[in-house]
Order: sequence, then C-alpha cells, then structure tokens
Amino acid sequence: MKHFDDTTKATLEKVAFDEKEERSASFLARDWDILDAHSATEGLEILPIETALKKYEWLKELLFTLVEKDKDSYVKQVASSDVLLGYFIRIKAGVKITLPVYTCYMINTDKFTQCTHNIVISEEDSELHLINGCTANAHVVSGQHLGVTEYFIKDGATLTSTMIHSWGKEVEVYPRSVAHVGKNAKFISNYVAMCSVKNLQMNPLAVIEESGLGEFYSVIYAPEDSKFDIGSTVILKGDGASSEIVSRVVSQGGEVITRGKIIGEHPNGRGAMACNGLLLSEKGYIHAIPELLGKDPHLELSHEASVGMISKDELAYLMASGIEEDKAKSLIIEGFLDLKIPSLPEDLQRQIDALIKETKDFETM
Amino acid sequence: MNDPVLEITDLYVSVENKEIIKGMNLSVGKGEIHVIFGPNGSGKSTLLNTILKLPGYSIDKGEIKIKSKNIQEMTTDQIANMGIGMSFQHPPKIKGVTLQNFLHTINRSEDLNDEIQALSMENFLKRELNVGFSGGELKRAEVLKLYAQSPDLLLIDEPESGVDIENIAVISKAINKILQINMPNKQRERSAIIITHTGHILNYIDADIGHVFMDGKIVCTGHPKSIMEDIKKLGFTGCVECMKREKDVT
Repeated sequence: MKHFDDTTKATLEKVAFDEKEERSASFLARDWDILDAHSATEGLEILPIETALKKYEWLKELLFTLVEKDKDSYVKQVASSDVLLGYFIRIKAGVKITLPVYTCYMINTDKFTQCTHNIVISEEDSELHLINGCTANAHVVSGQHLGVTEYFIKDGATLTSTMIHSWGKEVEVYPRSVAHVGKNAKFISNYVAMCSVKNLQMNPLAVIEESGLGEFYSVIYAPEDSKFDIGSTVILKGDGASSEIVSRVVSQGGEVITRGKIIGEHPNGRGAMACNGLLLSEKGYIHAIPELLGKDPHLELSHEASVGMISKDELAYLMASGIEEDKAKSLIIEGFLDLKIPSLPEDLQRQIDALIKETKDFETM
Repeated sequence: MNDPVLEITDLYVSVENKEIIKGMNLSVGKGEIHVIFGPNGSGKSTLLNTILKLPGYSIDKGEIKIKSKNIQEMTTDQIANMGIGMSFQHPPKIKGVTLQNFLHTINRSEDLNDEIQALSMENFLKRELNVGFSGGELKRAEVLKLYAQSPDLLLIDEPESGVDIENIAVISKAINKILQINMPNKQRERSAIIITHTGHILNYIDADIGHVFMDGKIVCTGHPKSIMEDIKKLGFTGCVECMKREKDVT
C-alpha cells in the first residue's frame, strides 16, 4: 500500500486492511479498479470474479444460485451492472488455513455506485477465515455500495467471515448474501459497524444442512443521523442443524432496526437468539425484532431481547469506586460491545477484539 | 485533635418522598471503626448510600462533611476520590466489564496481586464483574475492590449477609488488613462504618464504637460488644424499651 497517501491508508486500516498484517491471501478494489488479488498460500485461490469466470466454465452456473437475481432492486442492479467487480475465493478440500484472508472494497469517488459480486467456495473439510473491510475514503461524501456474496460451504468445512464497515454520513449500503452450509459444516459470520451511514440495510441468510452450524454475531454503534436495518435469517434445514444469532447495538441517536429470524424445519434443530440494545440518547431508536418459526415439534428455539439505557445502578456502582461518569459510561459501552464468539479460534478472537477497539468511534459521545 | 473523616449533622434523608433518616448525627474520627446495628429496613443502608450520594437518595436537611468539606455539590465519583469506598450489600452485575479491567481502572494499592491471591480471586479476574458470582464470591470481590481503592473511610454494608463462615473469616481478614488492625489505634490511618443486623461480624473485626440505628436515627451509642450482648438478649425491642425508659427519666 506504499502508493497510497496517509489518509487512504488510515481509511483502509479502519476496516482492518493493514499491509502490516500477515495474511494468507489479499484482495483490494478501489471504485471499479482491482488493485490487488493474490494468494500466498497453497490450496487457496483468490481471483477477480471476471478472471475466474473465464478460467472456470462451471462458475457461471453458480452465479445467483443462492441469491436470487430478482430478489430486489439492488440485486437487479448488481446483476445488470456493466462492470463485473468481485472476488472468487476457493479453498481446496481438506486444506486448513488459520491465517486470515483480507479483502477490502473502497469507494474513492464521490457519488460513486459500487456493485460487487463475490463467490466463496469452501470445499469439504477445509477451514478458512475471511476479514472483509468495506469503506469510503475520507473525501467521499455520498455513494452507494451494493454487494452480493454467495457462500458455498461444503460438508465438514469451516468458514468464518468477519465484515467491518466504515462509511460516510451520506453513503448508502445494501449488501445481500446467502450461505449454504453443508452437513457438519460451520459458518460463523461476524459483523462490525461503528460509523455514520445514511442507510445500511442487510439481512443475510444461511441455510444449514444436517448437523451444520450457522452463527451470526453483530456489533453496531449508530451515531446520530445514521440508519441501520440489519438482521440475519437462518433456516435449519437438516436434522440436528443449529444456529445462534447475537446482536449488540448501541445507538447514540442513530435509528436501528435489528432483526433475527430462525426457521426450524427438521427435528433436533437448535436455535438461540439474543438481541440487546443500548440507547445513549433521547434521539434515535432501537427496534429489536426477534422471530422464531418452528415447523417440527422436536426443535429447541429461543430468543431474548432487550433495549434500554445504561443502567443507573451500574453507573452509580462504578462512580462509587471513583470512576468519573464519562469513563464509567465508556467502560459499560465497551463491555456491552465486547462480544465473545465461542467457536472462533483464540487468535482470531484476539484479532477481532483489537479491530473492534481500533474501529470504535465514540466521537459523538 | 484531627478533624473527623466524616461528620454528619442533623441529617434528614428521603427516598421516593418517604423520610427514612430523621435527624441523625455521627462523627467518625481517623482510625475509628464504627459498627451500626439496626433491624432490617431501618434505613442503615440508606445512610451509606447517602454518604456516596447514590441516585435516589435526597438530603432534605442537614449536612455531611468529609474531611471538613461539605459533599452537597460533589458527585459520587468525587466523593469516592475524597477517600471513601463502599462494599455494597447487593452489587450490580456488569456484563462485559471484567473484574480485572475494573480493578485495573480503580487500583491505587501496590500489592493488589497478593490480595487477589489471599481472597482466592485469581480465577475470577477474566470473568464479568459480579456475573454468576455466589454470595461469598460477591463479598470477596467487593472487599478486593476496597483493597484496590485503598480508601480512608470504608463503608461496609452487611458484610456477613449471604456468606458462609469460611468466607466471613477470609473477608474479615482482608478488611482488617485494609484497616491496619495490627497497628496501634492511634497510628491507624483508615476508618470504617460497618452495617450489620446480625452482629456476627464482630467475632472477626474489633470495632471501637457501636450505635443502634432505629426509626431513622441513632438511638444508642456504646461499646459494640455490650450493645451486641443486649440485642442478643432482648432483641431490638429491648432497645425500644430502653429508649422509652430513658425518655421517661428525662
């Protein structure tokens, strides 16, 4: 990234795209331009989607098999885009890589609409960790990011995907993703957004086959004038499929709808959901909408949801220990956003913790 | 004589418009350990919470001075930083804040690690503050907090409630250490107010002055163990009778 100016470097680092971080593979796109797409690891392939489509005849058949082409106007726009921007990532069967893949999309031109289409294939019994940053450069006032991602996670494979967003006040963002999680496979999706954004709307879907696992963790900090409508939907399609959806939302005046839906279709499925919201301001709102749909009597589905302000008792307790009010609030908020993901490798959890810490932007507090 | 660490004069306090403390006076000198007895619901905890100006406690009349400074315009953290530390009877659970992070934020002591070991709290450092702690663990964490704060005046609310004998001994040992109990009285720097309704804590902590708190004020002051013996024999109803007799004499 030596050819980037300091502002751009800082923008990229805010979404964890830091050249100093060791990685198994890397992808970077600025507006329509792909600046980097390389893999440093055997058994792991990363290509611009356009190149991959030329290289693999069969890939064309995969496009829009999980995300429906006419799902909504944003997907239609991606499908009809003149420029085909996106990445193709494939990890071969049995290959396990703990070093993450870093990808990043950056809007660099004001009023630019960036359409992307990504395909990720985790072959049988593989393990891969993705860290995806999406951002707008500091000088960009408005723009749109429309992204389609289709995850094919084959039997026994593990894929974690950590997405970090940092946008501008007038940027609109509409990611659309679907993951198909095979038998005994694991898909862990983490989402972190601690930024201003005009409108961010997404509701990724995971379809979980027999004994598969799908977990969604999201951490949102919504400053004033930002709008988030985020959620996750999981279909427990196979016997013994399980899922967990956890979201922690802090609103400092931002408007947030946080959704979660677990649909159980087969016996022995388990699903748990926790949507917790913290309101720091009289402005804005948090609307938690947890939904459970059971279609079989042998399912265990549960949810909890809470929305409220910082507990007066907790604040008073910390202050009674000599901690000044602002610091006490910060401690509580940081703790609230400090999500521990049980099935994540320890190294990756540490890295994500560090990212969240760096990404935190409490300037309006 | 040194100025008292705490001086309460003609204090009236209400909670949700209900008068709880009704004309109370108390002076705590440097190095003194006061114990306040009183039946459940008599307002003993209200007194401690008011000293720290916790939300919901309204001073209607009178004043509280800490080291000669009126606390009227102070915030809770400012009062704590004047050297006041409280062990809560029911501390809140704070998710996401680890005991370690909390202690690190407030620590003023030089040998906290030794005390963490003495209170067997090593395995709790990475845990969220008070989340899933048993009664004894909560009290040990509270005392560890006081140790980290190293306050000049300890406010200890019902240290023995919900705690087994083994834990009371461990907690009391730590409190005695903070209070420099091994030093001669006059050399002790730290003072304490201990609230109790069972008095069991007196088997472990050697208090200097005892008070009976009833009907919103201190009704009797004397040697803690003598007061305790009387309460054991006659209960708090005995205190009521005694108050009546004294009133008749005057």
